Amino acid sequence: MYRKLLLAASISLFSANLAFAQEAIPLKGEELFGSLRARQIGPALMSGRISDIEGHPTDSKVVYIGTAGGGVWKSVDGGVTFKSIFDKYTQSIGAVAINPKNPDKEVWVGTGEVWTRNSVSVGDGIYKTEDGGQNWTKMGLEKTERISSIKIDPTNPNVIYVAALGALWGDSQDRGVYKTTDGGKTWEKILYVDATTGCSDLTLDPQNPNVVYAAFWEFRRTAYSFSSGGAKSALYKSTDGGKTWAKIHNGFPTGKLGRIAVAVAPSNPNILYSVIESEKPENKGLYRSDDGGQNWKFLNGDFELSVRPFYFSRIVIDPKNPEVVCKAGLSGSISRDGGKTFRTHGGVHSDIHDYWFDINNSQAMFVATDGGLYRTWDGGNVFDMVKNLPISQFYHVSVDNSKPYKVYGGLQDNGSWYAPSESPGGIENRDWFSVGAGDGFRVYRHPTKANIIYSEMQGAENIWRYDTERKQSMIIKPYPADAKEKLRFNWNTPIQISSHQADRLYVASQYLHKSEDMGETWVKISPDLTTNDPKKQQQENSGGLSADNSGAENHCTIFSVAESALDQNIIWVGTDDGNVQVTTDGGKTWTNTIANVPNLPKNTWAYHVEPSRFDKNTCYVVFTGYTQNDQATYVYKTTDMGKSWKSIATADIKGFARNIKEDLENPNLLFLGTEFGLYITVDGGQNWSQFTNNMPNVAVHYITIHPETNDLVMGTHGRGVIIIDDISPLRQITNANVANEVFFFKTKATTLRDDNPFSEGGDMGEYVGDNPDRSAKIIYYLKSRHTFGKMTLEILDKDGKVLADLPAGKSKGINIVNWNYRLKLPKVAKAKTFSFGGFAAPRLPEGTYTVRLTKGSKVYESTIELKADPNSMHSNADRATQYATTMKLYNMTEQLAYTVDQIDMLRDGATDRLAKDAKLQKTLQPFISQLEKFKERLVVMKGDNYVGSAEPQLREKMAELYSEIANYYGKPSNAQMASLAVIEERFKTAQTELEGIKTKQLTAINAALVKAKLEELKLRSFDEFKAASN
Amino acid sequence: MNTLKGLLSFALVACFAFVAQAQTADEIIEKYLQNIGGKEKLRAMKALRMTGKAKQQGMEFPFTTINAEGGKQRQAFTFQGKEIVQPCFDGTTGWSTNFMTMKPEKMETEDTDNMKREAADFPEPFLDYAKKGYTVTLEGKEKVEGTECFKIKLTKKPQIIEGKEVENVTYYFFDTENFVPLVSKSTMKKGQAKGTTMETVYSDYQEVNGLYFPMSIAQKMNGQTLITIVVEKTEINPTLDEKTFAMPAEATTTK
Repeated sequence: MYRKLLLAASISLFSANLAFAQEAIPLKGEELFGSLRARQIGPALMSGRISDIEGHPTDSKVVYIGTAGGGVWKSVDGGVTFKSIFDKYTQSIGAVAINPKNPDKEVWVGTGEVWTRNSVSVGDGIYKTEDGGQNWTKMGLEKTERISSIKIDPTNPNVIYVAALGALWGDSQDRGVYKTTDGGKTWEKILYVDATTGCSDLTLDPQNPNVVYAAFWEFRRTAYSFSSGGAKSALYKSTDGGKTWAKIHNGFPTGKLGRIAVAVAPSNPNILYSVIESEKPENKGLYRSDDGGQNWKFLNGDFELSVRPFYFSRIVIDPKNPEVVCKAGLSGSISRDGGKTFRTHGGVHSDIHDYWFDINNSQAMFVATDGGLYRTWDGGNVFDMVKNLPISQFYHVSVDNSKPYKVYGGLQDNGSWYAPSESPGGIENRDWFSVGAGDGFRVYRHPTKANIIYSEMQGAENIWRYDTERKQSMIIKPYPADAKEKLRFNWNTPIQISSHQADRLYVASQYLHKSEDMGETWVKISPDLTTNDPKKQQQENSGGLSADNSGAENHCTIFSVAESALDQNIIWVGTDDGNVQVTTDGGKTWTNTIANVPNLPKNTWAYHVEPSRFDKNTCYVVFTGYTQNDQATYVYKTTDMGKSWKSIATADIKGFARNIKEDLENPNLLFLGTEFGLYITVDGGQNWSQFTNNMPNVAVHYITIHPETNDLVMGTHGRGVIIIDDISPLRQITNANVANEVFFFKTKATTLRDDNPFSEGGDMGEYVGDNPDRSAKIIYYLKSRHTFGKMTLEILDKDGKVLADLPAGKSKGINIVNWNYRLKLPKVAKAKTFSFGGFAAPRLPEGTYTVRLTKGSKVYESTIELKADPNSMHSNADRATQYATTMKLYNMTEQLAYTVDQIDMLRDGATDRLAKDAKLQKTLQPFISQLEKFKERLVVMKGDNYVGSAEPQLREKMAELYSEIANYYGKPSNAQMASLAVIEERFKTAQTELEGIKTKQLTAINAALVKAKLEELKLRSFDEFKAASN
Repeated sequence: MNTLKGLLSFALVACFAFVAQAQTADEIIEKYLQNIGGKEKLRAMKALRMTGKAKQQGMEFPFTTINAEGGKQRQAFTFQGKEIVQPCFDGTTGWSTNFMTMKPEKMETEDTDNMKREAADFPEPFLDYAKKGYTVTLEGKEKVEGTECFKIKLTKKPQIIEGKEVENVTYYFFDTENFVPLVSKSTMKKGQAKGTTMETVYSDYQEVNGLYFPMSIAQKMNGQTLITIVVEKTEINPTLDEKTFAMPAEATTTK
């Protein structure tokens, strides 16, 4: 009662406050989603960026990795397999550290990656586990954004130093060196330089943990530039646990410095290495000190040592040999002579961020790259890849209309790909096909020409039209119209296909380009739609001390394009410098609506435009402010073609928004991708709930819905493609429906698929993504969790016969129960061994079945429909023959079991009476022997279940034929039907034989037993036999 | 039935009372033990036999589990009329049936030793847990099964895995309204699934001679239900053959 009142009160509260027509539905989180669950399909083939590796100090089997956008993973088997252990928390990881005094249990994770490319994500502090990663507690430093190092005092693990690099896009005082002396309860900032300079690296002297080295870096990004270096970058040393600090630059280059890394040799703490970004090319590179940092000597300025300091500033020293040094870089390099010379090792994905030496064998190492984790056993010559880390970073995802549908998308530094949404045995690495080079972004299958795919690489350097059959790619990008014109393409250039014209294609620079012939010809259909601010177009000068003009900073570009599904003349455009433009006449005239968006900072990136499928005048836009150091969530809706906009973001949402998807059927059902996960509203944005069931807090960059399966498909930037199969129950969430104790959702008929592929294997150690479940789904909402009393879920046929009783879901919220639409296994004759054919169950035919949920004394009913496979090659008549034949064999199998049961009862009864009266030997013994011989012809009475198996008898032959026919859904072959006739004949003979025994011998024996004053031999009925548990 | 009614009204009262009041792990466990029938009844239970069905991937098989003092236990499935024991422990020896030969085989010594270390689990791990050398801590609240729960960490005696002593932890999620566990979670320490969390979901609590038992127990891994046990018959202190848990003698001749 109390709850009902509360619910009623909150409902009226909501409806009073909001002017939306849609009534508010205040259900949140798990109460709403119940057992609706996402599945992750990878890929791990390309994997993704790994930012940090940390191994257990005494058990080389235990390794942790921190990733750029996919959380923390742990291996307990020496790196063969990894499991995600940080799903519920921020997925961008800067540093991992293990308490050396309690290494099995206590692990620290600093969130916020420190390899500061412009797509880098953001952290929210430091976390600790005390049970090896099962549970985590946030331990503060929430505003530090990026943590570059955590060092635990090996003599007193309550003392921990944390290096906070801090904010990338703006000033912040939450950076520098932090120290705790109470295991993380309180933190003190013990070294701070200024709001633009953060701590980029920190390390301790392993023998004297009061000696601390801390590198500081002055750095800044804007949406259109990057600046590395300044007068405040420096390397500091403390010898008193951080109370006092001194710059240790003796031998360093003078002038402005950029990013600095520092490492102490674990086997000799006087030896230090540092890589330094400096003003002059001749003194950039590796420095060494042999006296604990008092003096430094320049050793080497090789390319790998000085390349892209913001991305590669890490030095790792062999724990056993101070002369062996690894430097992260484009291809990675190793020195075996104390840094004098290096060998570029390559052999792994480019862009290396960290190394880890096996504690027992320095020839064995792990290497962290932009494309996953690699291992070497020969000191860095030959590598193999860890193929089970699905931490790929998608920028975009799309689906096609094949069956099963395929998913398409492009990855950070890992090309463009597609894969089926299901595959025999699961979606394996080998199911993914490459359809583009470079960084990948938008990929589409042509809507009607099944062999055509569009893909692109960064900055539209290439846009491809790829023929997947002929394996030919043509470059179809738009070119400048004249010598003066320069096209500005975003790093992630928008490409859009049309729902109105199959051959139509949109591509955008600062202009919107349209092609009606698959990219052969392009027409500009807009003026420059951006702010075209010349100050934001100086990318040549970007990078700071090291030039860095990769194209990633290109600005004043169009980022999002969408043609209305209702009217092809309505096109919405969002730009990275904060314009939202719309045309209603196919591009003849454009209106910039940005001035009508309330409470939005100027120039906030219009990240995604989503025209409504229900109303021409309605459109959603999400804005992303992080490049202006603004992490607020901006989600807006217009219902008047942009004349006015209303925010539909609420305090429920965490993280800046990346994408919004309107449902295809229910306009109040919206899906929002943010930097920290997926949010769903069922009431048009009045209440939002994070979806967390097998869905990590990962950045969701793109969302699409498959129109036939109703699957929600997400391109995540760190955990590959994640799918929520069939979100249609969410369309039916209304206050009226969820007011019921039990509410059955309407489901589409389940297709009885006839394809039955062989399973594939050979993927041990590789990632295998989950397939969708083929079962029929009984989906219902429970108002409260069922805990006390009996609850059952049965399926009945039209005659009311119970066909199945299923384990019911009992969670509060949505419950999904899978039904495999098969009868129970037949009861098989008892024998010495198993009849494996007897583990087959007949598949039920198409039709409508009753679902009966019994909860205590209450009964709730619904129906579920099965339909035949429309792609099947089998006719209805063939299917009927298959089912009838299967059932004939099913019944025959059970009748044979009953025959054997009667033989057993007679034999056992006779044996029992014989034991009671030895005088009956002459009467009973021949009877017993006869029964045993009879049984030996019916079932196997010797051997085992493997290669010691005996010659199959009638049971085994019958069950084998039964399972063969049961598992193929067309007409049985002529040979099978002929075999059935033989088996049936044998079975009839056996039945006749048993009847003979029963009518003749049994009568005589029972007479003898009566005479001997013993109980007669009795048999049980078939129904009694079926009901018995043995 | 009366006890159930009592329990429900108790839970309702608790629901009101509890808003203002912080809970300790001990209070939660006390309430739990009280709600399922009380310590005395639990202590009087020397053996328990549950018979029912095991449901797995659309198939179902007869299932029997017997637990008794000293950690003795026997779980058996019946396939095509043949009993497969997976596993059995008589207080000294752990064994199970080999699926190929249908003959009993001894479990690895370390696994048997670990079963010995959990011998005090029966009749109920939380009953007199401190005397058993177990510890409990309340780890806050968490939603499972759409329901707010107290998260209790139960640490039992350490286990030995590949020669190394490791902590033996299970997390229990007690419904904040009626103080019975809805879910427990523990991490696999050996074998192919090493490092994976196994989830056990409890429901359909029903009364038998004054004690409440979950009559539906589902085991899940990675969100997928591996097996659901539906109990149809529960016998407290059944008469047991003395050979119930013993490894059959023929085992000695098999290898």
